[in-house]
Amino acid sequence: MTTVTARDSATLSTLTFGGVLRSEWIKLRTLRSTVWCFQILAFLTLAVGVLVALNTGEEGAPQAVQQNIVLQASTAAISFSQLVACVLGVLVISGEYGTGMIRSTLTAVPRRLPALYAKVIVFGVVTFVVAAVSILVTSLLAAALLAPSGVYPDLGDGDYWLALVGGATYLALLGVMALAIGAIIRNSAGGIAAALGLVLVLPGVIQLIGVLIDAKWLQNVAFFLPDQAGRKMFSYGAPNSVTDGIVSLGNWQGGLVLVGWVVVLLVLASVLLKRRDV
Amino acid sequence: MIEAQGLTKRYGAKTAVDGITFSVKPGMVTGFLGPNGAGKSTTMRMIVGLDRPTAGSVTVNGKPYAEHRSPLREVGVLLDAKAVHTGRSALGHLLAIGATHNIKRSRVDEVIALTGLDSVARKRVGGFSLGMGQRLGIATALLGDPATLILDEPVNGLDPEGVIWVRQLARHLASEGRTVFLSSHLMSEMAQTADHIIVLGKGKVIADSPVADIIALATGTSVRVRTPDASRLTELMRTDAVTVTSAEPSLLEVNGLTAPQIGELAARSGIVLHELTPAVGSLEDAYLSLTQDVVEYHAGGTPAGASASPTPSTPTEDVR
Repeated sequence: MTTVTARDSATLSTLTFGGVLRSEWIKLRTLRSTVWCFQILAFLTLAVGVLVALNTGEEGAPQAVQQNIVLQASTAAISFSQLVACVLGVLVISGEYGTGMIRSTLTAVPRRLPALYAKVIVFGVVTFVVAAVSILVTSLLAAALLAPSGVYPDLGDGDYWLALVGGATYLALLGVMALAIGAIIRNSAGGIAAALGLVLVLPGVIQLIGVLIDAKWLQNVAFFLPDQAGRKMFSYGAPNSVTDGIVSLGNWQGGLVLVGWVVVLLVLASVLLKRRDV
Repeated sequence: MIEAQGLTKRYGAKTAVDGITFSVKPGMVTGFLGPNGAGKSTTMRMIVGLDRPTAGSVTVNGKPYAEHRSPLREVGVLLDAKAVHTGRSALGHLLAIGATHNIKRSRVDEVIALTGLDSVARKRVGGFSLGMGQRLGIATALLGDPATLILDEPVNGLDPEGVIWVRQLARHLASEGRTVFLSSHLMSEMAQTADHIIVLGKGKVIADSPVADIIALATGTSVRVRTPDASRLTELMRTDAVTVTSAEPSLLEVNGLTAPQIGELAARSGIVLHELTPAVGSLEDAYLSLTQDVVEYHAGGTPAGASASPTPSTPTEDVR
């Protein structure tokens, strides 16, 4: 062991946001759990998509129905993979609180917010890319598998691509929302429970109560929850409408509502991160 | 250079750090001593901005830590060995932390070699021993080649070889003109490593002096005398300036007389002495007497503001 340190090798280094982004990228890929989660996400998308494609098909269906059949096969796994995105999103930050890593992170980035935003960007982009590639590959596979049953998607249809990309965007936004929840709650178990509760449990509960007490406004509230609104992003050509007092959001409107959730929770996470002791 | 001004941290009703003012100078090793719960770690966390002070301020190299453009190059900090994600390898951890400051791969390899982590660098940190975790924490602190090092209990969990290594490292870093601020509960360790010591008790600075002065506090104050004729010797020594205590019939603890004086007194009266030992002051004794004072003081219920701590030559001592 020696006690020699070299002053010159580190002298050119300085803190930059690009560096913080790279740091978060290294963190994401050097944890086995994140790598596994992304692999599970990709595998689920493909496997469920293939299963659905093998078991559907309709000879002589109108083109809009044909588009929808391929889309549903490609995005059928989202009901499951959204759980993976939520859990991973929470863990990306709560794992740092659980292990104490957050103290190293915030010592390196003492202004704190750049560290949070770098996490959001890196995790959001990686989730989007993994989801988009999986969904696109699944759509090609599904189209091939569905061809014998007479289903041919029109690839020149903008709404079709919008829905495919919308599926990946939905997963990325939901993951980022879960990350914000993890940053607020700072505990893996609590964060995962809160994120899944918001995405899985709350919509059903609100809708059920809304139906039971016959309150349309309450049923409408449920449509503005993250998953109900966000799901419109990968519904084929969903229009924005109000029928019989029940709101139905369009693709873009649903997406914007989810973005709203993400922004509000991120603002809360930022304020708390800046204020709280670590 | 670390400068704290009236630094205070309260958690609810509990005051962890109570308006402390001190400075840690470059070119020497400054020890930070205090019993558990004295506020050492809280103070160190406030220095690097992890905890927000309730009142007061602290600067590093002239600025609050967070305002430096490249914080890791200003301050390297080991707060506890567990500030690492257990699922990541030591190499991955250092690369990730280094990346924030665009620190080159070569520097990461350098600190790995420097801290003796070569053989375990690619292993996951979760399987590390306490000592290995400590080395990784020190490697992280050294990553930015900082001008100031803050090490909280750096020898915790290290084997004897590691303890010597940390001691040499701290001395070497200080000799390069860096500011080295380290806390330890091992007083003997401090005596060998530190040049200057700040003692914290119940959130207040109770001493801020060179090591030699602190040791002097406990030196030459008492003499142990073992004699079969204890009661007669006690009678002979009794004056206003001398106090004698006795733990067992033939053993006396004498304050106020030197060993030669006691020996001569005994010889004149023909008293047999079996032992005559001046108590050698140690940092440990000094530390215990300092902190005990604080503890007793508070236990006695006297208002804290009236504290008159036995602090020699402390220009920056808290005087509230």
